[in-house]
Amino acid sequence: MDRIVVTGTGIITSLGAGKVETLRKLRAGERAIGPIRHVQTKHAELPVGEVPYSDEQLKELLHYRSSETITRTSLLGRVAMREALDEAELLTDHGERVVFISGNTVGGMEKSEQYYHDFLTNNDRNEYIALHDCGACTDIMAKEFGGRFDIITTISTACSSAANAIILGANLIKEGRADVAVVGGTECLSKFHINGFNTLMILDKEPCRPFDANRHGLNLGEGAAYLVIESEAHAARRGAKAICALSGYGNACDAFHQTATSPNGEGAFIAMSKALADSGLRPEDIDYINAHGTGTGNNDECEGIAMMRVFGEKVPPVSSTKCYTGHTTSAAGGVESVISILALVHHFIPANLGYKDQIEGHTFTPVDHVVENVELKHILTNSFGFGGNDSSCIFSALDTDNKSVVVMSDNRCYVQSAAQISMQQPLSEAWFEDPIVPTQAFNETIEPNYSPYIAPMAARRMGKLLKRAVATAVNALGAHGMPEAIITGTGLGCIDNTEKFLTSMLDNDEEFLHPTYFMQSTHNTISSQVALHLKCHGYNCTYSHRGTSFDSSLYDALVQMRLGLIRSALVGGQEEMTPAYFDMLGKIGYWKQGAVDTETLRRAEQGGAISGSCSLNMLLETNCDADTLCAVDGMDMLYEPDVEALGATADRLLQRAGLAKEDISAVVMGLSGDCDNDRVYRSFARHYCPQTPIIWYKHIFGESFCASAFGIYVGAVTLHRNLVPAHLLYNRKDNLCNPTHILVYNHFHDKDHSLILLSK
Amino acid sequence: MEELILELKKEIIDVLNLEGMTPADIDENAPLFGEGLGLDSIDALELIVLMEKNYGIKLANANEGKEIFKSVRVMAEYIQEHRTK
Repeated sequence: MDRIVVTGTGIITSLGAGKVETLRKLRAGERAIGPIRHVQTKHAELPVGEVPYSDEQLKELLHYRSSETITRTSLLGRVAMREALDEAELLTDHGERVVFISGNTVGGMEKSEQYYHDFLTNNDRNEYIALHDCGACTDIMAKEFGGRFDIITTISTACSSAANAIILGANLIKEGRADVAVVGGTECLSKFHINGFNTLMILDKEPCRPFDANRHGLNLGEGAAYLVIESEAHAARRGAKAICALSGYGNACDAFHQTATSPNGEGAFIAMSKALADSGLRPEDIDYINAHGTGTGNNDECEGIAMMRVFGEKVPPVSSTKCYTGHTTSAAGGVESVISILALVHHFIPANLGYKDQIEGHTFTPVDHVVENVELKHILTNSFGFGGNDSSCIFSALDTDNKSVVVMSDNRCYVQSAAQISMQQPLSEAWFEDPIVPTQAFNETIEPNYSPYIAPMAARRMGKLLKRAVATAVNALGAHGMPEAIITGTGLGCIDNTEKFLTSMLDNDEEFLHPTYFMQSTHNTISSQVALHLKCHGYNCTYSHRGTSFDSSLYDALVQMRLGLIRSALVGGQEEMTPAYFDMLGKIGYWKQGAVDTETLRRAEQGGAISGSCSLNMLLETNCDADTLCAVDGMDMLYEPDVEALGATADRLLQRAGLAKEDISAVVMGLSGDCDNDRVYRSFARHYCPQTPIIWYKHIFGESFCASAFGIYVGAVTLHRNLVPAHLLYNRKDNLCNPTHILVYNHFHDKDHSLILLSK
Repeated sequence: MEELILELKKEIIDVLNLEGMTPADIDENAPLFGEGLGLDSIDALELIVLMEKNYGIKLANANEGKEIFKSVRVMAEYIQEHRTK
């Protein structure tokens, strides 16, 4: 195919709203780091890169009512997104298939930390409970643009989130699923992560000095930035002006430590090398590197070493622009991509402000002043996250010659194995014959003995969910080799530790906080912990998009397999539930009250489901053997489709697999006992396949953001065992023998939908 | 001093969640990091919180911990000298 080009960009940071102001300050070498104003914290000594607008002012900028229920993360995101869509001339719909992928970690935390007491004790701020998670933030941003999007999802890999959003968007375009992708990230400052980074003792009390021998840490920042990307041919067809090309990208995992970078920068080295290989460029072609360069001792030293490994003695001009904006964490990959594109288009190199002395062992020095009138053809930008989630992107001038080579693979993809820990017997398929039937809405997880999987010293810092994730990963992997990718869905991450950190921050007036709890509150800690345990340097990503967190992970794996980028992937869904969070969700109607039985759930006369945790890992490979569970013959995701569009998508999946509707033995649906949720499933069944047996699973696994993982799992196991036992059948009383093709349908709040076709 | 060493061992086991370990398992003269107990940078940060919370000792820089956390005995001596509570 022809190359991917950027047709729109939008940005908001402490430098200001929009590209004009950003460009002016970048060229003037003007830092925008100062005292904190909008977040109520006792850490006034820590300078930050705060966006110079209050929530009220941001609402005015967007022409919103001041009473609008919205988080700052979403407000910032909307400002940047609107600018990008406007430039790309996409504010009006011309029928393009547009996907929206947003990186985010803080989510609604900046409101949750203010209203947490209300959440626990009264009903005054209930409207913010549902806005806590990262996916809610993306959802609210998408809402402004109506039915504009085809798929939306959220990536949460801490400080590389936005870079990974760019990568997924590009892959979806290459694979043919999307015409256009709106990609980037958003993050606002919160008391929670200011305190979190403070416990790690990596915040500088002065404006940061990346790559300086005497650097003392980073300054946190906030902001949002989005790019509109599409194929060059598509841009030409619709008359959109291309700005530059996205010529390559790479994602790798350092798999070294939960927060520290490996001494030789292995993950960074692989990410940059992959990006170069993807672009077909040689190291000497890169004219400027916009480094991750946070200003911490560890990052800058190791990133420098990795750059020296990639570029040898001729490291290109390097600067970190975090000295202007602070570290905008999940937005950083977007912010620094937009800054790189501004540099490319306007022929200048932004300064690495505050630099004085070279780091011992480094052979290069960063560019310490703004350089004008420099021809830049290719720019590499790095984004590295906690847990070693490292990604690099390369942007190129339009007059360069680099074609993206996409060789689609027609390999089939198989579910080789799967392992679960839930309210059912752990690491077992006992649920198939003899399920534990829940009798109440809150359900405890049955923990296995973890000692065969995790050494005691390694377990010391792991919360329950991390232990479950590692145990299911090791169990699913069995004797199979190292996977080429680890992709995890988790709507909430390790919510138990998040709560511990939040509670102690609020109760102890921001003192005596444990870094361990903070570290584990970042969603990607799970996927990177699995990588760390397996020493897997392959692709690593985390999706935190509410009820399609697992689906997004699976989709990413399948798309990369079709593009021939990977041959195997460990795909997981990880969710835990705490009593406090259960109570909060209960206030907004998530759960059934009192005693529960299967028949009540089946009738679904009222709102509410039953809760269950989810820890599931499955191994996908492009080859099969005697123990293979099933084949995955197709998958698609949709945002706010009507029932006709869903049916048409199911038809397309079947057609591609050479099948007809009559070939479907059963359809797996996430019926939960909640009347609103179940109505959507029933309507699809009635419309599309009224006679087909329905398999359900939430009556024995419970509801959670990742519960859909069990849908695919149950489908795979029943195909493998040639039997659907009666207790899994929603609309018939006897066993179903010899299923051959199973359609799995999942939706969340009738917004995000997914369809997956499994075959024997 | 021996009393403080025992107290510290208990606190370390508790705060670092060293499951299944007893104070007798920790040699107060052995290194806490690398060799010996095998702790890492995050454990060091947890020990810094422990010193602040239980003994009122505030470290401005994580690097200061390197000398103080050489062993439980060194740590106890430092606390003895600098404690404010």
